[in-house]
Amino acid sequence: MRRSGLILSVVFFFFAVFLASPMEMKTAMALTPEGKQLIFDEAGLLKQEEYHELTTLAKQYGAHRETDIIILTTNNDVNGDVMKLTEDFYDEYGPGYDKPHGNAVILTLDMNNREVYLAGFYKAKTYLDDERLDKIRSKITPDLTSGDYALAFQTYMQTVDKYMGYEPGVNPDNPLFNVWVQLGASCIIGGIIVAAMVIRSGGRITINRSTYEDANTSGILDRRDQYIRTTVTKQKIQRQQSSGSGGGGGGTTGGGHSHSGSRGSF
Amino acid sequence: MQVIDFKCPNCGSDMVYDSESGMLSCHSCGRTDDIKLMPDPLKRNVFSEGEATEYHCKSCGAVVITDADTTATSCSFCGSGIVLGDRLTGKLAPALVIPFSISKEEAMRAFRKWCRNGRLTPNGFMTADRVKGITGMYVPFWLYELNNAVEVHAHGTRVSTYTKGDYRYTETQHFDVYRKIRLNYVDVPIDASEKMNDELMDKLEPFPYDQLKSFKTAYLAGYIAEKYNFDEKELFPRAKSKIHPFIEEYIRSTMTQYTTVNYTNKQIDTKLGHAEYALLPVWVVHYDYNKLEYTFAMNGQTGKVVGKPPISKRKVMTWFAGISASCFLSLKLISWMMGGGFW
Ligand SMILES: [Zn+2]
Ligand SMILES: [Zn+2]
Repeated sequence: MRRSGLILSVVFFFFAVFLASPMEMKTAMALTPEGKQLIFDEAGLLKQEEYHELTTLAKQYGAHRETDIIILTTNNDVNGDVMKLTEDFYDEYGPGYDKPHGNAVILTLDMNNREVYLAGFYKAKTYLDDERLDKIRSKITPDLTSGDYALAFQTYMQTVDKYMGYEPGVNPDNPLFNVWVQLGASCIIGGIIVAAMVIRSGGRITINRSTYEDANTSGILDRRDQYIRTTVTKQKIQRQQSSGSGGGGGGTTGGGHSHSGSRGSF
Repeated sequence: MQVIDFKCPNCGSDMVYDSESGMLSCHSCGRTDDIKLMPDPLKRNVFSEGEATEYHCKSCGAVVITDADTTATSCSFCGSGIVLGDRLTGKLAPALVIPFSISKEEAMRAFRKWCRNGRLTPNGFMTADRVKGITGMYVPFWLYELNNAVEVHAHGTRVSTYTKGDYRYTETQHFDVYRKIRLNYVDVPIDASEKMNDELMDKLEPFPYDQLKSFKTAYLAGYIAEKYNFDEKELFPRAKSKIHPFIEEYIRSTMTQYTTVNYTNKQIDTKLGHAEYALLPVWVVHYDYNKLEYTFAMNGQTGKVVGKPPISKRKVMTWFAGISASCFLSLKLISWMMGGGFW
């Protein structure tokens, strides 16, 4: 009785901590410096209220990951390259959560060429490498294509926040990291073990195939193992393309700030 | 002369089988008799044909109240142990018996201990203070000798994989497999009493066959015994189905070198060698809990307890929550160590 009470209290402690964890995020939000512009909607894609909501979200997640989460949209009248635009913006404006030209992730939409570029600087470069930025880009591209910009931006911020919670080098979409997969697997294991306990409570069968076998008179009288033929099938091995760092998505700005990156059209 | 009792030649008290010494013993004067050396009263008596309709206690003369299957019981008036001789002769004569080695007191202790260990049983059940009755019963079993001739044709494969260049190769070797097997089983027990639950009796196994003795009526003194309701031919199908999974396992064990085996033709011919009528010792415990009666059985030699105890939903939920929560914590820790973050 006492033992089961202990188990129950451990369980409740767990769920209490689990439920309390989003609260800690809200208190951290208050520490964000106010009045910092994070969304530069030069192309005018967002409504006033969307702009405010997304700014709040960007500040909240940015404080959580100590990284400025920035959105830049442009009609690109000068028809510059989207990657160059992003780099110049970083050099010129100097965003960064910790300091000017510090930790930042930038999403740039070039509405003229319908191109999107994602760049991670400093902490964001480490935690959001080219591969992770590619994942984020492929997540939001369908919404960008259909014109649901606010939704795409929201997904972008949430995914940045989520991916920056994983150590560099691991796959952030590993199902083992999914809390629902963890919960589901735990419940299945618990269910199987308890079901086995219920079944075994009535006594188990403790005889096996040799209990009543008369080994002296039993045995193989005749056996044949005749080889007929051999069949061979082959399958191409899927080798993972190693994304060369530096070469693919990222680069270095004119001001000498190196960054990770991912580009594509929508 | 259908009724047999065991009176002490010294003092006239009732003698009973003593599970500790294995002797017929008198509790009043302490006399013990070796059953193996005693002449069996069954062999001396000639019973009239057909079953008697009424039995009278030889001690007090009262009518012995039994049901149609009982072969040994005690008088409900004076408590004398009685054996109903005509139900143990002719076709109904047992060949073998395994006497009890666990006394009533030991059985009670073992049952209480078993109740306490029930992790899912309600707390009230664990105290085991509602035992309504504990009965030492000789349950009729048929011990089968089964001779099997097995012939199997099968298609077996051995699969190996290797990589060469950019390709993974899977090489499958095909074989034509044949096995001819002789498989004999001895003393496969099948309970022959209608009253006893087959599943319960199966779980009581194994019985220690080194304790098998030629049947002597005196072993029943002080216990309840039943006669069989089904003969060896009627229960042959059940014996066959009992060994069937063992035969399957044996066949597969002769083909372990193959990755997959597909039987193209399998013939199992089971012949009944012979079947012996044996009485095996079982303590039957009746237990009242929440106005429901539960029946448990204990192997009278090994002390193994079987039977469905009541299950506490609260305890099931507690265990489920505890195990799931610790699994969840472990998974969290694993994902954290892999760099997945804790929350
Ligand atoms: Zn005596
Ligand atoms: Zn009597």
